[in-house]
Amino acid sequence: MKTPLSSTVTPPAALLQGILRRWPTILVVGYALAAFSWTMPASLFPPKPVIDGVAEGPLLLLGLWQSWDMFSPDPRTIDICVELRCTNRDGTIDRRMLSDMVAMGYYERWQKDRWRKYFNDHLRLDDEHALWQPFAEYAARRLREEGHDPTAIELVRWWRPCDPAIRPDLRADVRQTPWQSHVFHRWGVPREWGR
Amino acid sequence: MMSPWAGIRRAVVAFDHWVRDPVDPRPLAWFRSWLGLLSLVNLWLLWPDMPMWLGDDGVLPAAVHRDLVGGTRISIFMITGSSDAAIGIIRGLGIAGGLGLWLGIFPRCAAFCAWLAAVSYAYRNMDILHSGDNLIRIGSFFLMFARTGGVFSLPQSVRRWFFPQASSDSQPPGGLVPAWPQRILQVQLCILYLVAGIWKATGPTWRNGSAVGLVLQLGEFQRFPIPDFFLTPVMSQVMTYGTLAFELGFPLLVWIPSMRIPVLLAGLAFHAGLDWVMNVQMFQWLITAYYLLWLKPASSSPASFAPRSAPACSVRPAR
Repeated sequence: MKTPLSSTVTPPAALLQGILRRWPTILVVGYALAAFSWTMPASLFPPKPVIDGVAEGPLLLLGLWQSWDMFSPDPRTIDICVELRCTNRDGTIDRRMLSDMVAMGYYERWQKDRWRKYFNDHLRLDDEHALWQPFAEYAARRLREEGHDPTAIELVRWWRPCDPAIRPDLRADVRQTPWQSHVFHRWGVPREWGR
Repeated sequence: MMSPWAGIRRAVVAFDHWVRDPVDPRPLAWFRSWLGLLSLVNLWLLWPDMPMWLGDDGVLPAAVHRDLVGGTRISIFMITGSSDAAIGIIRGLGIAGGLGLWLGIFPRCAAFCAWLAAVSYAYRNMDILHSGDNLIRIGSFFLMFARTGGVFSLPQSVRRWFFPQASSDSQPPGGLVPAWPQRILQVQLCILYLVAGIWKATGPTWRNGSAVGLVLQLGEFQRFPIPDFFLTPVMSQVMTYGTLAFELGFPLLVWIPSMRIPVLLAGLAFHAGLDWVMNVQMFQWLITAYYLLWLKPASSSPASFAPRSAPACSVRPAR
């Protein structure tokens, strides 16, 4: 039954009232669309550029950005590790594997999962070379604090291809399959640097 | 027979009611409490490395960071600038937020603290983030707008222990509350699985059934030992296609009331298995908090840490 008030409401005003009353539904649908578009592969969601263009500001501002693409579209087929190699002024070489997760105990590898993220997924990549020198300088500072006197810092990426076959013995093969390595960043530490 | 338009209209109306009709606050309170506890564990794990990841003297100096990050983002660094004081503030916010969410102490303020801590460390070094960080940021953000204060709350329970008469005279906590924060988080979980499944379905190794077998061979993700039985091509196919089926099926099946509990139990088994075999820090735990949002509370069960004289609330059957 219509109330006297509702009979006087014009259609646009009624529409506006309906929208205002349904703001939670509009918010949920809008957020769902924004989050879905933000996380989808561009090739599978044609409206992505348009929706992301609108949603980018609020999602970034409020920390609601997200991604759900781990092991996608395919998992890596190589094992990776990053090494820090320090040459000291007395000629000794100090080698530290930064993300050799298998060598760590259960708690340590759990606690240092972010090390794996940083070193294996980012620092080792050529695309992220901006991270190399800051890390080398950080390492030099820490090594000096430990009493070392580094003259050169090298960052080394190690990798081994995983056998495409799936067998129990291959899971334990991390130490047996030959690893390859490449020095991807070298920094000669100036004697007076940081002093 | 119903026309397609009538069906769509009916679905839209049902969805509108699902979002706007008030709900029992207990699932949100369970979510809040479990998310708070897990965010404390997350902070505990991050704590020793915070100077390295977030500090000016760390791996990512402020000048380099500024060149890498685009867009405006709220963070504590907006106030402190590139200062190591921010680390102490993030730690304090993380503790206050986690404890408050866990124990229901000023829960909306606590959600703000947890959210501000999470967005701040995420802003300062995005290369250390895992998917669990996304879940903490998003969950704590929407908890800022959720009313769960009187339910599953330590202060409320203490008050009830010491002043049972006063609490029975007053309005019992746990009256119906606005549903939209819970709904948006439920939808978020569906988006998570749907998108993860779509991404995987585009990969050749996921389509040929070898993906999980390959992941299990990667040394960097290995955690606890698993029986040799699982490390065969056949089991790889079972687990790969099972993962795809679960991730693509969850967002559909969880809406069907009769399927909800089996789907949630399957999800728990799925994530427990992943947590056993794979060294991925907190994601498998944090996602279980979002499962709590799908549970339907028994209408007469206690909604607090302490026994109570009145029923928590009356709840309509879940749609």
